[in-house]
Amino acid sequence: MKQNPDPSHSSFRDPNGYVFLKEGIIYRSVHERYQPHYDKLMKSGLYDELVKEKWLIPHREAEFDTTECPETYRILQPVPIPFISYPYEWCFSQLKDAALLTLNIQKTAMKYQMGLKDASGFNIQWKEGKPVFIDTLSFEIYQEGEPWVAYRQFCEHFLAPLALMCHTDVRLGLLLKDHIDGIPLDLARKLLPSRTKRSPSLLLHIHLHAKSILKNQTTTKAKPSGKRFSKTSLKGLIDNLESCVKNMRLKDDSSNWVNYYEETILGKEYLEHKQQLVKDFISELHPLLTWDLGANTGVFSRMLPEKTMVISFDHDAGVVEKNYLTSREKGEKNILPLLLDLTNPSSAVGWNNKERFSIFGRTTPDLVMALALVHHLCISNNIPLAKLAAFFKELGPWLLIEFVPKEDPKIQELLKFREDIFHDYHQETFEESFGQWFTIVKKSSIQDSGRSLYLMQKIG
Amino acid sequence: MLQVILYVDPGSGSFLFQLLIGGFLAVVFFFKLAKNRIVHFFKKLFSKKNNNNEAES
Repeated sequence: MKQNPDPSHSSFRDPNGYVFLKEGIIYRSVHERYQPHYDKLMKSGLYDELVKEKWLIPHREAEFDTTECPETYRILQPVPIPFISYPYEWCFSQLKDAALLTLNIQKTAMKYQMGLKDASGFNIQWKEGKPVFIDTLSFEIYQEGEPWVAYRQFCEHFLAPLALMCHTDVRLGLLLKDHIDGIPLDLARKLLPSRTKRSPSLLLHIHLHAKSILKNQTTTKAKPSGKRFSKTSLKGLIDNLESCVKNMRLKDDSSNWVNYYEETILGKEYLEHKQQLVKDFISELHPLLTWDLGANTGVFSRMLPEKTMVISFDHDAGVVEKNYLTSREKGEKNILPLLLDLTNPSSAVGWNNKERFSIFGRTTPDLVMALALVHHLCISNNIPLAKLAAFFKELGPWLLIEFVPKEDPKIQELLKFREDIFHDYHQETFEESFGQWFTIVKKSSIQDSGRSLYLMQKIG
Repeated sequence: MLQVILYVDPGSGSFLFQLLIGGFLAVVFFFKLAKNRIVHFFKKLFSKKNNNNEAES
């Protein structure tokens, strides 16, 4: 196998290896210098235990030509992840589960005299509804007496955002968008209410930890010789972090949208007819990947067949939380709830703006669902229908979309205290705008409302 | 031992902090384990007694 000379843009920090793409398949190259750690991971039983628990992504060792890949010890072909997502797109419980998985892996690794050398949130992805650790090269042989090298990273990637979401505001999880190396602890400390100092764990791992980091940036000390961090201390540290994460609970007042279907949706007849129409419209499509935009708690995402991977997007942290908890409770393998504000979607960030992909730079969907969404984008966010149609044509070949007319009570609510400047917002303009890029394959009005459902196929 | 160096590893504050709190964490962990063992012992003891009582009745 010839190595791809251009490693993936997000894999350059670890000199022990990198990820690359060849003929559509993702590989991980392992450098010779990582050999002792890799061998220990594979031969000690740690890899087998982690894979058996479904905590670590399994891989196979691919064949390669040593003359073409000098200094390469192994080339791994990991099992693919259906959709790449990032910590700033996860809800509170997703970040919490990812944190607990990282600690569980560290605890298991310690049984085999190994440990994690980094604890980045980007090392976790979602597969079959559960978090899975994807960085096989994060393991290193444990050095007796050394502190946990990933401690600060764990606090910045997991503990600080979780504490902020839990004790200040759930929307502060979005700080991870600007701080992809984790939320600096001094910033977290300033944003957390002072009552968090009464929690011994938060006092220790965030407030005092932040002070120590700041202090040692100005007064520099050499590594103290002879002072050791015992294995019991390490176990105590991991145990304390685990208890701290487990004890964090999100307040139950974070969203107006959580009970949307139960409390505020139009009639029951409308909902039932819409569900029937959605089922009929998509019955012959068989999409492998669907994006449900504005999915709320995922009622319609769950109407897709189990073979379809559904990314259930919403901009509201509360509904994504509820969607994820439902999915976790039911053990659903094909639903991935994610946070996404369509008016400011995840952009490409990090080094050279290429380290983390934009939402549209990842796997493209076969089907896009936009139910009861158009009016929010057009009326609440002033996006003209022509721009909306041009946006959807970039996403995928099939579009299931609902049009909500201006007379609809929900739009009337939106216009209650503002001037109606939306003179072009009509069903005719909607069909004309989307007709530029799509063929309307199916169309039906939805009972007990003036709304219509369309199935459209992209032209060409 | 104090020594002024020009460049600081960004993780040094974290490293030194762990050394500082290591003893405390070890003691907390030791007592937690001891408490768990005692609780487990009594739970086992009482469940045995209950089982014996049920068997006798």
